[in-house]
Amino acid sequence: MHEGKEAVAKKDKGLDLEEVITKYRSVISFRVKRSLGTYNPDWEDVVNEIITNVIEKVKKGGFRGESSIGTFIYTITSRRIVDYIRQKTKVMKYVQEPSPFPDPKEQVEKKERDELIAKSIKKLKPKYKDILYLYYFKGLSREEVARKLDISPRRVSERVNYSLKLLKKIIKQ
Amino acid sequence: MKKCIFEDLIDDYLLNKLVEDRKEEFEEHYFNCPQCLEKIEERDEIISVIQNKGHMIFEDEYAVGAAEAGWFDKATSFLTPKQWAFATISSAIVLVVICGVIPNLKTTSPQFYINEDAVRGQKIDLISPVIDIREVPSKFEWKKSPKDVEYKIYLYNNGDLLWSALTKENLIVLPEEVRKLMTPGEKYSWQVKAFSPEGILTSVSSRVQFKISPTK
Repeated sequence: MHEGKEAVAKKDKGLDLEEVITKYRSVISFRVKRSLGTYNPDWEDVVNEIITNVIEKVKKGGFRGESSIGTFIYTITSRRIVDYIRQKTKVMKYVQEPSPFPDPKEQVEKKERDELIAKSIKKLKPKYKDILYLYYFKGLSREEVARKLDISPRRVSERVNYSLKLLKKIIKQ
Repeated sequence: MKKCIFEDLIDDYLLNKLVEDRKEEFEEHYFNCPQCLEKIEERDEIISVIQNKGHMIFEDEYAVGAAEAGWFDKATSFLTPKQWAFATISSAIVLVVICGVIPNLKTTSPQFYINEDAVRGQKIDLISPVIDIREVPSKFEWKKSPKDVEYKIYLYNNGDLLWSALTKENLIVLPEEVRKLMTPGEKYSWQVKAFSPEGILTSVSSRVQFKISPTK
């Protein structure tokens, strides 16, 4: 176990920082957007600050390999998000924040993508559309959906997964 | 690729159903699991569309946007659709038995009421005598009922009961001793009532008047 940990630490300590940026930017972005909101214009700045912070700490020896690099970056990300929210709360107490102004190009791309997904859902057979409607739109639990459709909760999970798989196929087509 | 043990938590995480500790544990996990991250990002996109555009996507099938029947859904959710179907069919059978079969086991109630001389509902049509006649009638005749009944005939003289008799036929011969009591110029009336085999009155005729023409 100890040797395994050392092996992990050596591998992560010798990591290529550029690789870190490439590999972890998407997960940091996802986490930040989820907490701040997709249309919050600050999200990209917060992501950049987090990556800068990670690089600095690794260079200064802040990453000792006691955990995985993923966990290390997760901790920095979570702390930065909390700091951002605290800061925003203080600012908003005194100053009215202007409404966020999303990137028009991003907006158009997102709108097209959303429409594609919506059309694909409509193409599904009723059996699969039902499960998406009940589980995601109505927000019922697995057990509630199971009762409604007279199937087991396990079957609900299987059908949800299969519906999403079918959807992915239709979207790609 | 082998399924990750955290994969089953993806939906609960994206739907904000995880408790705080579990949520943090899961968040830390997907920082270390590219497989889960890919699935999370895919699913998040789809769930966002369903939640934001669900009214449009499911409009045709589920009349989304109409008044929410939340109370109805909650009231009916304790039984499955199959159980509801069974309960409905069973109730329908019980109702049929109560309303359809049981009443027929009892004797049929009369479906008429008498208001002075008028009879409403099922009635017996009298055939003869129904108009003034030249001589004392030898028989009385009426329309036969399709049901198994026994008839009782009543003969009145100026409102007083002169004679009555029972018969299973739809006509009766007037006994000689009654004929002798009837005199020309007098007003008479008669009526027939039908009784079921159990003795329950089932239908009634109007009381028809007739007069025997006086002898010249």
